[in-house]
Amino acid sequence: MTITLYDFELSGNCYKLRLMMNILNLAYEVVPVDFFPGREHKSDWFLRLNPFGQLPVLQDDGLTLSDSGAILAYLARKYDASGLWFPKDAAVTAEILRWHAIADDITATASAARLALGYDYDFDIDKTQKGAHRIFRIIDEHLWFGEKQGRDWLCSPAHPTTADIACFPYVMLSEEGGISRQDYPALRRWTDRVRRVPGFTVMSGIFPAGPAR
Amino acid sequence: MPLSVSDPTWYPIASSEDLPFRHVYQGQLLGRELAVWRADDGNVNAWENRCLHRGVRLSIGINEGQELKCQYHGWRYANRSAGCTYIPAHPADAPARRIENRKYPVREAYGLIWSAANDDLPFTGFPGAEGGDWFALRPMPVNARPGDVVAGLAGLAPDDQPADVMQGLSVRLGNIVYFVQPVDADRAVIRGLLAGKPADPIATLRHYNEGLTKLRDRLEKAAARKPVPEKLSPIFEKVSADLASMPDIAIPRGATLPVVVKRKWQNADGVVSFELADRDGRHLPTFQPGAHIDLHLPNGLVRQYSLTNGPGDLMSYVIGVKQENASKGGSKVLVESVRAGDVMAISEPRNNFPLRRDAARTVLIAGGIGITPLLSMSRFLDQSRLPYELHYFTRSGESAAFSSELTALHGRVERHVGLARDAIRARVSQALGPYEFAHHVYICGPGAMLEMVQEVASGLGWPDEAVHFEYFQNDKIIDQSSAFDIELARSAMTLHVPAGKTILETMRDAGLTVPSSCEQGACGTCLTTVIEGEVDHQDVYLNKTEKASNSCMMTCVSRAKSGRLVLDI
Repeated sequence: MTITLYDFELSGNCYKLRLMMNILNLAYEVVPVDFFPGREHKSDWFLRLNPFGQLPVLQDDGLTLSDSGAILAYLARKYDASGLWFPKDAAVTAEILRWHAIADDITATASAARLALGYDYDFDIDKTQKGAHRIFRIIDEHLWFGEKQGRDWLCSPAHPTTADIACFPYVMLSEEGGISRQDYPALRRWTDRVRRVPGFTVMSGIFPAGPAR
Repeated sequence: MPLSVSDPTWYPIASSEDLPFRHVYQGQLLGRELAVWRADDGNVNAWENRCLHRGVRLSIGINEGQELKCQYHGWRYANRSAGCTYIPAHPADAPARRIENRKYPVREAYGLIWSAANDDLPFTGFPGAEGGDWFALRPMPVNARPGDVVAGLAGLAPDDQPADVMQGLSVRLGNIVYFVQPVDADRAVIRGLLAGKPADPIATLRHYNEGLTKLRDRLEKAAARKPVPEKLSPIFEKVSADLASMPDIAIPRGATLPVVVKRKWQNADGVVSFELADRDGRHLPTFQPGAHIDLHLPNGLVRQYSLTNGPGDLMSYVIGVKQENASKGGSKVLVESVRAGDVMAISEPRNNFPLRRDAARTVLIAGGIGITPLLSMSRFLDQSRLPYELHYFTRSGESAAFSSELTALHGRVERHVGLARDAIRARVSQALGPYEFAHHVYICGPGAMLEMVQEVASGLGWPDEAVHFEYFQNDKIIDQSSAFDIELARSAMTLHVPAGKTILETMRDAGLTVPSSCEQGACGTCLTTVIEGEVDHQDVYLNKTEKASNSCMMTCVSRAKSGRLVLDI
C-alpha cells in the first residue's frame, strides 16, 4: 500500500511531510495540488478530501489524514522503529504537542508574511512580521539555554523529534516574508543541525548545510 | 553623539560560542552586515556579508572548514585572505586569484568576538580587561538607538553606586561590563561580561537574561514612541578594477614578496621540505590547487616549486625539494645552503595546472616529487568532499614524501613502491580504465613517466583535454639553429630571431615586457597565441592536440618551421 501525499511544492507544511518521510526512508506518491495561483485546495474535489481546505493531505492504509502536525505524529508512531521521533513518554509527548502548536503559530505569522509578500495574500504584513519576531525571540532563548544545558533540539536532549520538523520550514523560509534571523543566533545554529539530520531533503529556499566537524 | 559609519572603535559583534566549527554567523556593525566564521584552524573571519558574484549573503553559505562556499553559485573564498579560489564554469577554471571579499579587523578576547569598521585603531580591549577571568552573558538584541541603550544600562545602577560609562558605548556596573554593539541607528545588542565564572552558571545566566529582557522591553516601548532614526548607510566601495580583472598577462618578472624560511626538514629520503612564511606573520596570497611559486635562489637562479597546501591554508607555504646529484644548481643550493631563518624572495602563486572541480571522476597520478601539486589538489578535493583517487609511485629505497599528510586524506590513496617500469605501466592502465565522459586525470612526475601515462591514457581512449600534466623541467635538448622573422600583430613590430637566440630574448631586446618564468618550456607562463605560421614546438607544456593546432606556443623555447610567425602580442 503506497502512501499518497497531496502536495504543493512550495508549501512549508507539505515539505514537513516530505522531510519526515525522507528521514524515515518511506516511499510515497505525490498528487500535485495547484495551491497558487490555481487555489485548487478550495476546489470541490479537494474539499471532499479535507473540508478545511488545507494542504497537506496524506492517504495511507485507507485513511485520509490532514494537518501537518497530526500527520507527523502519525508517520513517526507508525513507521519510526526507533521510537525517537515521537517518543511515548507522557512528558515528552506533551512537550512535542506544545511545539506543534507553536509551529502553527509560526505558520500564522512567518508563513502568512511570506504569503502576503510572495503570493498576493491579503494579510497585515507588519503584524505578521512582528508576531514572527516575538516567537523567534522565545525560540532563540529556549535553544540558547538548551545549548548551555546540553540540549540540541526543541524537546529532547539527544535526538530531534517531530517538533523540530514542524517548526523548521517556516523558520528557514522567514526571509521570504521579510523576517531576518540575524538577531537569533541560537535559532540559526539549530537550523544547521536540522539540515544535518540524515535523510534531510531540500525544497526551494531550504538548502543543506555542510557536514559538521 | 550620533553614530558614525567610519567610527574606528572596536565593538563586540558576537560571543565566542556563537561560532562553532562549520557555522556562519550573521552579524552587523554600524550598518555593515557581516559574515563571521571560524575556520578549522581556529582563525575567525569577519567579512562583508555578500558573495562578490551577485550579492547573495555569505551567512547562508557553507563553512567548509578552510573555505566558505556561496550557497547559490558555488564561488569559494579562502580562510584569512577572503580570496576567491574558485568560480564554477569559469574559463580555464582559474579565477583571478586576487579577487578578494572585503574583510574587517577581528579579534577574539574575553569570550567575545570584536570588530571595527576600519583598521584605524589598534585593539586594546577595555580598562581592567587584562588578567580578568571573564564570563560572557547571553547577548540581548534591542530595537532601540544604541545611545538610548547605553543610557538604559546606566540607569540600572543603584543611586549610591552610579554606573561608570566608558568609551566605546560601554557601561561598568559593579562586577559587570556591558558593551552596546551599535548594529544600526535603531538597533543594538547588549553584550555583558561578568568578572569571574559564577558558581551556578545557568542560574546566573538566567538571572541576568531576565533583567536584560525587562530592560529591553522598556527600551523598545520607549523607542516606539520616538521617531525612527535614519538607518546608517555605509558606502560600499566597488572592488577595484585592478583586483576584479584577471591578472595582467604581462606579470613583470621580478615582482616578488619576501618570505622567511620558518622550517626546513628532511621530509623523506631525498626530499627536503621548506615552510615559507610572511616576515610579519600576515597571511600569504591566495592560491589555487596546482599552483606554484618562483623561488629566487641565493645563486641568482629562479626555480618553480608547487605548493602542497590545502584550501585557505595561507599562514605559510610548504614546498618539497628533491635532492638531486646531477642538479644544475637549483635544488642543490636550496638544500645545502638555505637554512631556517633565512629570508628569500618568491613570486605570487601562479597556476598553470588548474584543477577542475566539476569532474565525475578525478584520478591523480604522482611520480616521486611530483606528489607536491597533487597533494594540494587532493586536499582541495578532500575538503569539498569530491571523490578522487591518488596513485603515488616512488622508487625502491626512497620513502614517500608527505606521508603523514597523505594519511590524513579521506580519499582513495594508493602508494606504489619500487615497481618496475612495466609494472607501473600496468598499474597506471588499471587505475585509468577506459575513458568515460567527465573523467579527468592529472599527472606530475619525471618526464619519462609523464610520457608513459599520456601514452597509456591515449591508448585507453582518453582525449587530450581530459589529461592534465605538469612537467618539473624540460629534459629535451633545444634546437636553436633556425632563424626566422616574427611579426607582433598588436605591437605592430617585425623582429628577426637569429639562430642561438630565443623569441623571448628577441622581444625583450626590442623593449617589450613579456611574461616568463621557467624559460625552459615547462611552466606555461609565456604561452602566446599564434595567428599565422608554422611552429617548431620544443616545450613539454602543450599537449599533442594543442601543438598540432598551431595556434599557440611557448616563446621561451619554441621556434618556427616557416620563415615567419605572426604572434598575438
